[in-house]
Amino acid sequence: MSIRTPLARVRGLGAAKDGTHHWWLQRVTSVIMVPLILWFVISLLSVSRADYATFQLWLSNPIRAGLMATLLVTAFYHASLGMQVIYEDYVRPEGAKVAALLATQFVLFLLGAISVIAVLKVALA
Amino acid sequence: MSNAYQLIEHNYDVVVVGAGGAGLRATFGMAQKGLKTACLTKVFPTRSHTVAAQGGMSAALGNMGQDLWQWHMYDTVKGSDWLGDQDAIEYMCREAMPAVIELEHYGVPFSRTEEGKIYQRPFGGMTTNYGEGTAQRTCAAADRTGHAILHTLYQQALRHNAEFFIEYFALDLIMDDSGACRGVIAWNLAEGTLHLFRAHQTVLATGGYGRAYFSATSAHTCTGDGNGMVLRAGLPLQDMEFTQFHPTGIYGSGCLMTEGCRGEGGYLTNSNGDRFMERYAPNAKDLASRDVVSRSMTIEIREGRGVGEHKDHIYLHLEHLGADVINERLPGIAETARIFAGVDVTKEPAPVLPTVHYNMGGIPTNYHGEVVILKDGNPDYVIPGLMAIGEAACVSVHGANRLGSNSLLDIVVFGRAAANRCAASIKPNSAHSATPQPAVDKILARFDGLRNAKGENPTAGLRMRMQRTMQNHAAVFRTGDSMAEGIKLLEDVHDGFEHIAVSDRSLIWNSDLVETLELDNLLGCAMVSIKSAINRPESRGAHAREDYPDRNDEGWMKHTLAWLGPNSAVTIDYRPVHTYTLTNEVDYIPPKKRTY
Amino acid sequence: MAQFNLPPNSIIGTGKTYYAGAGTKNVRRFQIYRWDPDTGENPRMDAYEVDLAACGPMILDALLKIKNEVDPGLAFRRSCREGVCGSCAMNIDGTNTLACTKAIDDVAGEVTIYPLPHQAVVKDLVPDLTHFYAQYASIKPWLQSATPPPERERLQSKEDRAKLDGLYECILCACCSTSCPSYWWNSERYLGPSVLLQAYRWIVDSRDEFTGERLDDLEDPFRLYRCHTIMNCTKTCPKSLNPAKAIAEIKKLMVERR
Repeated sequence: MSIRTPLARVRGLGAAKDGTHHWWLQRVTSVIMVPLILWFVISLLSVSRADYATFQLWLSNPIRAGLMATLLVTAFYHASLGMQVIYEDYVRPEGAKVAALLATQFVLFLLGAISVIAVLKVALA
Repeated sequence: MSNAYQLIEHNYDVVVVGAGGAGLRATFGMAQKGLKTACLTKVFPTRSHTVAAQGGMSAALGNMGQDLWQWHMYDTVKGSDWLGDQDAIEYMCREAMPAVIELEHYGVPFSRTEEGKIYQRPFGGMTTNYGEGTAQRTCAAADRTGHAILHTLYQQALRHNAEFFIEYFALDLIMDDSGACRGVIAWNLAEGTLHLFRAHQTVLATGGYGRAYFSATSAHTCTGDGNGMVLRAGLPLQDMEFTQFHPTGIYGSGCLMTEGCRGEGGYLTNSNGDRFMERYAPNAKDLASRDVVSRSMTIEIREGRGVGEHKDHIYLHLEHLGADVINERLPGIAETARIFAGVDVTKEPAPVLPTVHYNMGGIPTNYHGEVVILKDGNPDYVIPGLMAIGEAACVSVHGANRLGSNSLLDIVVFGRAAANRCAASIKPNSAHSATPQPAVDKILARFDGLRNAKGENPTAGLRMRMQRTMQNHAAVFRTGDSMAEGIKLLEDVHDGFEHIAVSDRSLIWNSDLVETLELDNLLGCAMVSIKSAINRPESRGAHAREDYPDRNDEGWMKHTLAWLGPNSAVTIDYRPVHTYTLTNEVDYIPPKKRTY
Repeated sequence: MAQFNLPPNSIIGTGKTYYAGAGTKNVRRFQIYRWDPDTGENPRMDAYEVDLAACGPMILDALLKIKNEVDPGLAFRRSCREGVCGSCAMNIDGTNTLACTKAIDDVAGEVTIYPLPHQAVVKDLVPDLTHFYAQYASIKPWLQSATPPPERERLQSKEDRAKLDGLYECILCACCSTSCPSYWWNSERYLGPSVLLQAYRWIVDSRDEFTGERLDDLEDPFRLYRCHTIMNCTKTCPKSLNPAKAIAEIKKLMVERR
């Protein structure tokens, strides 16, 4: 235990002058996802019984492909932002937190990239 | 035995005991002026009882119509029933305006007028043109003015990096052979350590002793600790017979309903629905001075016109003011009445009763805050190294009866005055004279004795007996016979204290021992109070003797000084009332009949 | 990881039971957390039967009755007994509140009383609030201005003054902060609802000229953004204030000034 004054402990390293961007993006991504997910669910119902060729044709529409890619990017980005908050809340020590954060962000980025490529591949086939 | 205690030593220019409004204003005033200052307090500063002040702080700002500090002074002198020292009263009323402005600059969230100025409300005994009209002089932050001011003062203390020793209980003053105060010994509750604070000035800002009574608006912590320490130091207390009963404490719980209720247009009624104050105070009516209203209520109840099942209280009406006014100006009152009386004040009256509220008496001081006593014929002999401010002190600006909203003023003005005096008289970081060891040993021996007390009388039982005695025998109206009986009962309690039982031996947060030390302080205050009261055969201000119903200026326009000796013997002497003003800008106000 | 189970020295045992005398009718049992720093033993719950017929209506009345008549060693803070000083904040029946304004009748059955959650305990119901107070000091809770003050009061419109309502009334009892899970896990860096409410009280004060600097000092992933709008603060506040709203307002200003 270090012998410091209570005020020194509270002040710590000072304010990071950061966090608003993160907080704002989390809100923006969630708001964007509301119509996207609605669209996604409705669309999925409309093409749920279609064969691959029909589906491929459906997705080859640039607007649909664009919406699909945006949804996926937003979802993974939102997940990454959210996971960061959870790790910051609960994971100690600092090293474990950073490791968990990096690993998760890598995985989410990778999943995002794979899914976008998959969408493009289907849409452009 | 007392060697067993390790004393942790500290050297300061000034030590302030107490962190209510007065203590905080003094503390950061001194810190601001470069004095090394420590503030010891038994509760965290914002828990101090100043927080409970509601109505406001008086100052002749004239925001709501013409006002003059001379009118304020006249009202205060009249309110004091001519027992107040007029030099000190002049000082306070003049300093009131800059004091309020200073608080506003510090950030107190005062309520506002349409022009954006500080809102001021009428209060009891506050008049214009020497008693003719009703003054709007009381600066208010809704009905939470004390809370707003106390928090602001603590914030200023933080701003000036004042040094606090929080949850330290002051045990006793260190007095040397020459009669000077050299500091104070205190007990750190959280760590269980004892501390010796050397100081060039020790400032007592420990508040009143309302808890000497069974029913008081005062907090549990209002136990007259500074007064107790002064008595044990062999010094006298002044005008201790004057205890203010606030007309509107909630029936049952004793919680305060501000005088601002009546300031905003509320009124009292008896069981006939009469606005009886019109009979007792034809001009001021419900806004007569507190002692007058409390006596009138007591008479109404005695004569069978009380309300309720037992006809033992009075109604306070606010419902005609409407919910909007109540929510804007009296929101705290509405909350308190709902919680403690189950009453919605926008719809029905609140049950109220005169309740012990304020101690006009206390440690005698001059208007600089220096403790003065009668010594070798000099009634203004200054005790070196000791000051007192706030309710603990008796400057005396309130004389025999304080006007509402003059106490928030008192604490701020005299807290600042004490800081100024210290700045003028102390050279920062100068060397301390030797600490008298016998005095220290005596303090530790007392502490150790009480800590290990193995008698048969638990603290709470004795405290209850003292409180009941004061409640019954030193009430709104007093008689010699009843007080004599009370003195006997109180002496029994004192004898009981010789065999007190403390069950907790710990040094860490031993609140059983804290309450015992507090009871010792209270008991000293109570004893001196009732014995001063029986000694004064006249009625003046809050001291209403049924056997002596008139004021006697010839014999008794003087301050009582009371020393407490062994076996609760009280010695009494007197100091003259200052019958002169501070400057020649205002004339001495000669005594006349006091009517409202 | 944040610790979700109690450390061994915090596991609570069963203590003594103090029974009400025979012939008492309206008896209520109080389970009260006790910890004695002198023995170093684990905390325990002592049970006290209180005769409500001879007791005031509030939880504080019961605590005082227990202390006066049964167990003088019981330690808790109290002062004003009317809900303005903030001393007697504690966890009663699972909710942080003031013992002096919480009616016994508002609790059904046995009354359990703990100190404020997730604070170091000094003794019994007395928590160590040093850190909480230091956080309060850290936000510079005083009026800051560069313009010299006028001769008279600074003017403030009634509307601007009204913005302080619901903020300045805070009594620093710490009920809200210690009810906040986010504060439990991150109190060393998160300022908590009470201190943020106070920060906002100065941010919206029309007389203060350091609004930007105040926002700068709060803009931090931990100091401010650990608030996840759990709302325990607003739910528990014994003065019916709304710290969650104040925090939301701060976040809004943060976005507004970008």
